[in-house]
Amino acid sequence: MTSLLDLQRMVRDAVFETGANGPALNAVIEHIAADDGFTAADHLLIYRRAIIGTLVRTLGAIHPVCKRLVGDEFFDAMGRVYARQTPSESPDLGDYGESFSTFIAGFEPAAELPYLADVARLEWCWHRAFHAPDEKGLDISALGNVAETDTDRIVFRLPVSAHLLTSDYPVQHIWQVNQDDWSGDSAVDLKEGGARLIVWRQGHDMRIDEPDVAELRLLNAIAAGQTLGEIGAADSLEHLDTVLPRCVQNGWIAGFELRNPY
Amino acid sequence: MTQFIDSPINGAGIGLRSRHYREILDTKPAIPWFEVLSENYFGAGGLPIYHLERIRELYPVTLHGVGMSLGSADPLNFDYLARLRKLAEQIEPAFISDHLAWISVDGRHVHDLLPLPYTEEALAHFADRVVQVQDYLGCRLLIENPSSYMGYKNVDMTEWEFLQELVKRADCDLLFDVNNVYVSGRNHGFDPVEYLHALPEGRVREIHLAGYEEQDNYLFDTHGYRVHPPVWDLYRETIRHLGPVPTLIEWDNDIPEFEVLADEAGKAQKVLTDMAAAA
Repeated sequence: MTSLLDLQRMVRDAVFETGANGPALNAVIEHIAADDGFTAADHLLIYRRAIIGTLVRTLGAIHPVCKRLVGDEFFDAMGRVYARQTPSESPDLGDYGESFSTFIAGFEPAAELPYLADVARLEWCWHRAFHAPDEKGLDISALGNVAETDTDRIVFRLPVSAHLLTSDYPVQHIWQVNQDDWSGDSAVDLKEGGARLIVWRQGHDMRIDEPDVAELRLLNAIAAGQTLGEIGAADSLEHLDTVLPRCVQNGWIAGFELRNPY
Repeated sequence: MTQFIDSPINGAGIGLRSRHYREILDTKPAIPWFEVLSENYFGAGGLPIYHLERIRELYPVTLHGVGMSLGSADPLNFDYLARLRKLAEQIEPAFISDHLAWISVDGRHVHDLLPLPYTEEALAHFADRVVQVQDYLGCRLLIENPSSYMGYKNVDMTEWEFLQELVKRADCDLLFDVNNVYVSGRNHGFDPVEYLHALPEGRVREIHLAGYEEQDNYLFDTHGYRVHPPVWDLYRETIRHLGPVPTLIEWDNDIPEFEVLADEAGKAQKVLTDMAAAA
């Protein structure tokens, strides 16, 4: 007698297998009823198509620009390869596809579009920022109340929605000209340079901002959890006095705490 | 048997989809209630939950999930349940429902409602989990019959016998999907009316209607069409038998203009109203 667990594992393995004569499919059809005009395998394959189809549609919904860049047929074929080899570990479909950009970077047939993986990364960051928890933003007066002797212990925090992203390609420009409401010139010169981005949400407004080199370095240090004292001591951040206020002004810093000395 | 089922919602509601948020908030259509897909609001913040809260101020809302995986041999996912409970506290739904199905094993999710083998083992397991979830959420669950395209060789009972026993053991309620029972009946060769008449008395708290897709040799439940005529026939029979149970129009693929959904809901409302008048 096959246990419920074993039966479910067999069904799952047959769903993620390729081809109509693999070992997992042959194992599970022993347990599936056949009926008028349908073999046991036919029944299982209905589920395989539906399940892989759902995962591929989800990838397409999260990565509309990638889909537009390569076309529906190519995208769906690429998505099927990814879906078969990438388990979904969450009951929430919105969590599916975090590693898709890494997969694209190594997907040989897409090698002609070297920027595609970074566009996928940008779209994933957008997706996550869109669904991130709400927050109020930095409490400037609380910051003003920190005693001067304690300022070195300040640890800033980026918005919970924020993702920092760099690329050798102008991915933000590529993303922009591929939006439905874009009406300008849609040509992008790949040689125009890379991108430094912070993707985040301010209230209900989605933002893709472009910090300069010094700003991004500070944001990275904050993301790494460094104290203001540690950041200030680093040679590379000599312009902290001007860079920090700019980051605060742009809304890129959402909160702070004081780290206790050990 | 005709009886009025006392319910916090009444009449024909519509499945809330993001493309209709704006129109609903702007025009406040005369729809008695909306149902949302719970997992779409697990994101903790942003526009989806903002819109849902605005709509909840105007209408009763039910929470319908596909992620509970009650039939899975895995342990219950309490992270999922915690997110659902938090959403329920925020939205105060009339009902919380999920499916007679499994969607995951070994933590790997297929995001499709796979059928259970209707065995004693599966029944004991499923009933035990419904009890645990009801205790955790502090309310009865509505369990929905799935559309299915596959059955197992070694089973001890039919799907409707499974549901009868489940209700006894877990003291849960049911969500009867008329489209699903029609689709499964066609795919597996059983009579949906027999299924309907076997439903335990007083337990069906909500009904679903949607449009299937005709494939080569079977019906596929895409929720992408208007309700088909034979499903309307079965729905009228259902309401004659069960009384005016709150009914939902579901649409998930190629979602049309809101007025199409409102038109479908209007047809269901007419069935409910006519039946109430005749009673």
